[in-house]
Amino acid sequence: MPHFLRTFFDQTINGLVIGNIYALTAVGLALIFGVGNLINFAHGSVYMIGAYVGWVCVTQLHMPLVATFGVVAVICGLLGMGIERIGLRRLQNSARIAPLLATIGISFVLDQLVQIIFSPNPQSFPNPLPTTRLQIGGVSIGMTDLLIAAIGIGIGIILFLFLRYTKIGWALRATAQDRDAAQQMGVDVNRVNQAAFALAAILGGIAGMLIGLYFNTVYPTMSFQAGLKGFAANLLGGLGNIPGSIIGGLVLGLVESYGVALFGATYRNLFAFVILIAVLVIRPNGLFSRKRQAPPEPLTGTFIANNKPITLPVWGVIALAVIALLLPFFVGDPYFLQILTNAWLLGMVALSVTLVTGTAGQTSLGQAGFLAIGAYASALLTLRLHWPFELALLAAGLITAILGTLLVLPAFRLRAHYVAIATLGIGEIVNQVILNWNGLTNGVMGLTNLPPPTFLGVVAVLPHQIYWYSLILLLLGALFQWQLLRSPLGRTWRAIREDDIAAQAYGINLNRYKALAFAASAFIAGISGAFTGHMYTYINHETFTNTTSILVLTMVILGGMGNMLGAVVGAVALTVLPELFRGMADYRYLFYGLALIMMIRYRPQGLLGSI
Amino acid sequence: MKIRHFTQYKLFALLAVIATVLAACITPAQPGAQSAPTTGPILIGVSGPLTGTMAQYGAQWKKGFDLALEEINGAGGINGRKLEYTFEDSQSDPKQSVVIAQKFVADPNIVVELGDFSSSASMAASQIYQRGGLVQFGFTNSHPDFTKAGGDYTWSNSVTQLQASPALADFAITTLGLKKLAVFQINNDWGKATNDLFTPRVKELGGEIVANESYLADEKDFRSALTTVSDAKPDGIILISYQADGALIAQQAQEAGIKAMLVGSASLQSPDFTSLGGKAVEGTMILGEFMPSDPRPEVQALVEKFKTKYNEEPDLFAALAYDTINLIAAAIKEGGATRQGIHDALPKLKDVPSVIYGKVTFDPTTRRVQNPRFENLIVKDGQFVPWDGTKPAQ
Repeated sequence: MPHFLRTFFDQTINGLVIGNIYALTAVGLALIFGVGNLINFAHGSVYMIGAYVGWVCVTQLHMPLVATFGVVAVICGLLGMGIERIGLRRLQNSARIAPLLATIGISFVLDQLVQIIFSPNPQSFPNPLPTTRLQIGGVSIGMTDLLIAAIGIGIGIILFLFLRYTKIGWALRATAQDRDAAQQMGVDVNRVNQAAFALAAILGGIAGMLIGLYFNTVYPTMSFQAGLKGFAANLLGGLGNIPGSIIGGLVLGLVESYGVALFGATYRNLFAFVILIAVLVIRPNGLFSRKRQAPPEPLTGTFIANNKPITLPVWGVIALAVIALLLPFFVGDPYFLQILTNAWLLGMVALSVTLVTGTAGQTSLGQAGFLAIGAYASALLTLRLHWPFELALLAAGLITAILGTLLVLPAFRLRAHYVAIATLGIGEIVNQVILNWNGLTNGVMGLTNLPPPTFLGVVAVLPHQIYWYSLILLLLGALFQWQLLRSPLGRTWRAIREDDIAAQAYGINLNRYKALAFAASAFIAGISGAFTGHMYTYINHETFTNTTSILVLTMVILGGMGNMLGAVVGAVALTVLPELFRGMADYRYLFYGLALIMMIRYRPQGLLGSI
Repeated sequence: MKIRHFTQYKLFALLAVIATVLAACITPAQPGAQSAPTTGPILIGVSGPLTGTMAQYGAQWKKGFDLALEEINGAGGINGRKLEYTFEDSQSDPKQSVVIAQKFVADPNIVVELGDFSSSASMAASQIYQRGGLVQFGFTNSHPDFTKAGGDYTWSNSVTQLQASPALADFAITTLGLKKLAVFQINNDWGKATNDLFTPRVKELGGEIVANESYLADEKDFRSALTTVSDAKPDGIILISYQADGALIAQQAQEAGIKAMLVGSASLQSPDFTSLGGKAVEGTMILGEFMPSDPRPEVQALVEKFKTKYNEEPDLFAALAYDTINLIAAAIKEGGATRQGIHDALPKLKDVPSVIYGKVTFDPTTRRVQNPRFENLIVKDGQFVPWDGTKPAQ
């Protein structure tokens, strides 16, 4: 066999095996999305727990592989039912976004629990299968590869039969098609939800265990990437589309494998997300959605809960601002001031997210990309071109507005959850470009010796100085945004959020207004990122990661979608909480997750309510 | 409505102006710079990851700290005072490391700070420590700019790539006699800098790099990259990797049937590398810094104590943590238990006993260890052992 052909086959097998794992994860997400219209952020954690249960069974209890799969399925199934009970059932009739936040909280709790019980160290998972490889015409296939393939195909067939020929399978499909109609026909949708979650968790857990076997390691933080890839595979095939998810997973696996072969492993995620966005641009509802299917439900908009937001009169807001401004005179503790400085800077980002997500209805999970663009723009302007800080800060805002809007441009065709993952992908792409464009960004070494923030020649380095500087930037950003929102522009954005088809029918150019929303949002986020970079004096590709994007979206949901004051309150709450829990050491983020779950349980519309 | 709107606008603008003036001119009452207490325990502040993706490193640190402190305090402490540390979890996230830096600087009980782990978290906090006059001792910070970008309060006893990378090339080409090398490089600041210094030295010595694969820190699947490497037919594979990814590469290389000799940097030298890698890492050659099976008495003493206390062997991070506490204790003895005392004592320290380097003296200009020593190791029966000079059969 010619050499390149053998390489090609090897890469294909690698891709298909990984793709199988992605597919298993994606099918679970599709099931849950189908019946609950919910993106389950805890799915990656279930996958990780499946891997750990498998590890305990094989290495500690010395159980045979078949029995291990049974135990993994039972424990993960129960876990899935538990997640449904806590994360979804009680929040069903509240804002659509509330269960999403609950699952983020659950994932924190699960990840931390595993880390506390099994230590954060990776554990070795020796593969009990023989290491012999089958040689088929020059191509070699390992036993694990075969096992994964067999399980993937087996589960696919079982799932098909289950959905097609069992009563609960029918109920599941009916609920996915039309929840209310199914309920009227006597389907117990709660039981259906529970079944979907259990089934999804079983698939996720088995996928986790397989990956543990495949890579011979399990570790607590394997959950995040798994969730992300499953989500991407699901979107590739079409949200909630089960056969689509399987194909999506395989395609993603293959694309990554070929991409790595051609360009190196550093480009793995870049490749995955570029392909994802390209596919979505051409087929906004995924590869395998029927052309005429109803447009996906918006993530916000019509689903924003009908509630009365807590509003403060203008003098109240001003009073709060004055209190915040005077605070350093009463509390001089630099630790306290630094926490609030972080809260103000993240508050700006939360404002920028609530603008696109809450007001204009375009869920953004890519805000870290804007932060990074702002920080690098300002850093390069001051370091290479010796611009003064003030000018560089403003320029960073403008550059981020322009670059950010251009980057998000391809996502304008998308709606609801597709926007969320597209922006997440854009954030990831920005990160990868920073990492790989050595000439401009100094690559992995990052940029050192950024000049500290100055204002009219006064260097702001002391805690109270950066406190005031960041607070003023936040207030100015808020004022800017508030002016936009009360103008006709704000009404137009809300109209797009509520019903984009109606808005279009009224002659609103959707793309133009979405571009304006993202430009304004990126402007504010870019300034916050630039200021943060100069405050740190050192930035690299790890300074702003996609966990920051998720954190900021959490802040916005917690405060109340579209609610500007809520965004700031959410930012303060989620910056202060982990600090309050400092005394709990390793248990810190466990309590953080529990606090998130409790807050969303009692205020599903957000602390201050959505507007 | 129009008028009200305008008034509000002006009010905001006014507020902003007032605040600007405040920020520029007035300094609110600062908590007075109290000096460190002269009785009670001497406190070290540690900023590092206890939760999050890097939590495993913080866990190793703790073990090294606790062991060193047990000994120091068991022997009566420093001038009759106990040495203690407070570990604040930063998740190695700059948002949190700067907050911790402010907390430590404001706390007069803390006389020196250790950490953080990642460059992004450590270097974001450097200026706060520098201004606060509190020594930031980054004992795992190999970023070549770490001590440069900080200032005279930023110190490290970690080996930089400037020292380690050329040594790795010498080891592979001159000592092991390899000619065609394939390089796996973790794509973070450490990996990049190591590779950038490694490659030219290899060429200088007459070697050839036939494949160069870089990968992200969270990469688990090297099968595709290994296919490429296998085609280049190298006689040695250089692992510029951490223990977990290094073990994965070794394992997947074995599965792919690649027979080239594995040569790695000191970062592989962790029990995790051998336990995760199993048979696949047998015969791996490592240019090490620290080895639990090193016969030197100081190493064996640490290993024995570590095994008794934790039932495992110390890895490099734990050994660095152990060494660092002893270094700091020496600095306190030399200069006194104050921030300034430690700052002034570090350049004066001479030949402080160290598990890793034997003896440590700092270069006062780079604020790094002078002439760090390396150790030629091989993985044999799941253990790192000193290499006896015979080349393993390929």
